[in-house]
Amino acid sequence: MITAAELKAAEASQPIHAEPTSFWRKYVFSIDHKMIGRQFLWAGLIFLLLGGTLAMMIRWQWAFPGRKVPLLGDLFLHRTGGVIGPAEYQQLFTAHGLIMVFFAVTPVLIGAFGNFLIPLQIGARDMAFPKLNMYSFWAFALSQVLVLASFFVTLGTGGAGWTTYPPLSTSIGTPGSGQSLMVLAIFVTGVGSTMGAVNYVTTIIRLRAPGMTYLRLPLTMWGIWLTAILNALFVPVLGSAGLLLLFDRDFGTQFFIAGAAGVRGGGDPIVFQHLFWIFGHPEVYILILPAWGIVGDVLSFFARKPHHWYKGSVGAMVAVTVLSALVYGHHMFQTGMSPLLGEGFMFFTLIISVPSMIIVMNQVFTLWQGSIRFVTPMLFALGTVIVFGVGGLTGLFLGDISMDLYLHDTMFVVGHFHFTMAAGSVLGAMTGIYFWFPKMFGKQLDERLGKIHFWFTSLGLTAVFGGQLLVGWAGQQRRLYDPYQYTFIQGLHGLNTWTSMFAFTLFAGQMVFIYNFFKTIFFTAPTNVQNPWGIPTLEWTDAASPPAYHNFDRIPGVLRGPHHLSDPRVEERLERDFLGQAEPGPEGATSAVEPA
Amino acid sequence: MTGRRLLAALGALAAATAHAAPLPEKGFGLPLDVSRDGHHIDSLLWFTLAAIVAIYLVVLGGMAWTFLRHGRTHRAAFSGGSRRSIGLLVGSIAVIALAVDGHLFVATMRDMNEVFWNFAEVDQRPDVVRIEVNAHQWAWVARYAGPDGRFGTEDDVITTNDIRVPVGQPVLIQLASTDVIHSFYLPNLRVKRDAVPGMINGLWFQAEQAGQYEIACAQHCGPNHYKMRGVLTVLSREAYQQWLREFSEVAVRGYDPDDQEAHWGWPWRSL
Repeated sequence: MITAAELKAAEASQPIHAEPTSFWRKYVFSIDHKMIGRQFLWAGLIFLLLGGTLAMMIRWQWAFPGRKVPLLGDLFLHRTGGVIGPAEYQQLFTAHGLIMVFFAVTPVLIGAFGNFLIPLQIGARDMAFPKLNMYSFWAFALSQVLVLASFFVTLGTGGAGWTTYPPLSTSIGTPGSGQSLMVLAIFVTGVGSTMGAVNYVTTIIRLRAPGMTYLRLPLTMWGIWLTAILNALFVPVLGSAGLLLLFDRDFGTQFFIAGAAGVRGGGDPIVFQHLFWIFGHPEVYILILPAWGIVGDVLSFFARKPHHWYKGSVGAMVAVTVLSALVYGHHMFQTGMSPLLGEGFMFFTLIISVPSMIIVMNQVFTLWQGSIRFVTPMLFALGTVIVFGVGGLTGLFLGDISMDLYLHDTMFVVGHFHFTMAAGSVLGAMTGIYFWFPKMFGKQLDERLGKIHFWFTSLGLTAVFGGQLLVGWAGQQRRLYDPYQYTFIQGLHGLNTWTSMFAFTLFAGQMVFIYNFFKTIFFTAPTNVQNPWGIPTLEWTDAASPPAYHNFDRIPGVLRGPHHLSDPRVEERLERDFLGQAEPGPEGATSAVEPA
Repeated sequence: MTGRRLLAALGALAAATAHAAPLPEKGFGLPLDVSRDGHHIDSLLWFTLAAIVAIYLVVLGGMAWTFLRHGRTHRAAFSGGSRRSIGLLVGSIAVIALAVDGHLFVATMRDMNEVFWNFAEVDQRPDVVRIEVNAHQWAWVARYAGPDGRFGTEDDVITTNDIRVPVGQPVLIQLASTDVIHSFYLPNLRVKRDAVPGMINGLWFQAEQAGQYEIACAQHCGPNHYKMRGVLTVLSREAYQQWLREFSEVAVRGYDPDDQEAHWGWPWRSL
């Protein structure tokens, strides 16, 4: 039971501040978590478009190697007459990878949804450290500026691949300041992510509304909280690796340089890989945990049914978080690591498939015996489950050392991680955008355009990444400027061309989303969308759309879990099928929904 | 004609023949496997593919069924799962984990320890062919010990992007790199290993079918990564012996003790 004193104490600790009125304080240097969330959304979506454009150029090269790139060629490649050369090509895939991972998907999934949703879903008036939150965004914005700047320096942006393995990423392999700027951008965005992560972790521990126990948190909050913990632990490792790499590049140290260039004894290139992947593998989960959380909630909301085995999903997400740092060595099976170490990493990699399967199977079981509403956010959530399934299952091949002997560094790897990190995370992010758009902007996205966008995106992603899996299965290595130099790949030209065609279609389909997004924001009249779908979590039941500056007039006292749907007692008395988390309900309906 | 010129001429000839050969693969499947042990990998690949396709189809089928039967008109159950549904979920996952993950783990431990990473035993075999490969941007340079069996002597045979091995004999390669990380990849023999500056890594295979196959670089190593292609020629034992003998004689004639750049290499290591 929540006492009046508890609620009063919560009110007293989070007094209502007046909303700033000046333009700069309100829209630019804002400390309001909702504005910062929207800033991250804009920044991330713009870079998503940029990263996607780079991907189209890569696909063009694989379909029509050495031919002039239409439209974009004259714009970006005037130095080579509109043709992609080997040097430009390596910059394309390097920038594509880095932009998508660090500057597009991360800000949307973690920056936008984390900031916007944490206080609203746990019943707080703002984050624990609102100013730190603002610094976090502006550090991120600075890192985006550095990324853009790297394109305009002599020799262009970085070209060592998104993994920036030394010695290639030192001045031996990639001279010029573009690579340095990219590494610096990763360092700066790491600073921003760490600040954000500390803030998220603290907020969820300290500012949950009275009655919001850990096992009453929406799964979205679990996903974002665990992600923030991983970020706080491992992003600083990446930052230190980046810093050491910068020293190697620009100050003459030799932490990661060996071989002929290691004139002063040299260092060890493999150390960088350890530092990179002990961050890099958790990063995969950093990007999928929020998506898992969002999808787990949305499936429950639109199946109008409690999430299947909520505690099991939470436990599995915690298990994945713990194990995520113990599996990273599977990226390095072929570097010459000791067999015992490699086999240990293989063991944990196979083990981590168990909690992952629990999460996905719980999502599927949630649909069972539901009353499914196929609205756009639900379609995207279902799409996420289906594409993530492919990504997760193809991971079995790569976590296994002997199959990795053949498949390592082939397009199969590329297809696998695109199904998880690109298809899974992006569809998860789209689920969130369609679902919380009314809460963010007070207007609802067009449903018909949303469905068209869904089919283009989900079928397009599947075709493109499926094509990558197929050519990888046939042995094609990744990152080849002209794959057809190899006779054993020449037979795959047709398949690659088809895949590229699907990619162009996928990209074109995104225009539907852009049109829908801007049309709704600027030309659609606000409608009554406080809770259009009948969702029981706090942001829908207790806050306006868009929420007031202080979120909640009164801090809610939470009575039950996030998925109280289709309770017959509620349906009988209230004539609707959901009961809000903080809503005093018919007697007997307060207990959390758990298996008998 | 000096020894050096002769060597260059022979090298050019070898390069010309090497570039003519490997035929494109047909279709989308795995490339032709010409190795003694590649079938270990292929059988695991097919096993895993069959398992995941089966799992995926069952789950998709279940989802499709709920879409059809448990739509808007269906009355939702107020249940976060029952003992039975959770039991079914945990049980099926346990079966998958034991049958699929368990099989992969056991089979791979055996493959790696007995075959692919079992360098010590291969090095003991009397018929082993030892090659040192030094990768650099953007070529594979190989060194054979020659008749004296020792690396770093004047009878060493050195080739570029052209590695020749006998059929039916184990070939043990020690890999190094001068500049950046490369990855030595033989798609038709199902093996791959990184060449890392400052390290010497091992890789071994046994080819069972004469012919020419491609050597690929799998690790991005700079703008011309895509051109880091070599040819692996699998010869009959007699042809291989003859080639090695002839090239070694040429090498002895062309040996120049003052040519520092040609003297890369290392005493053979036990891995």
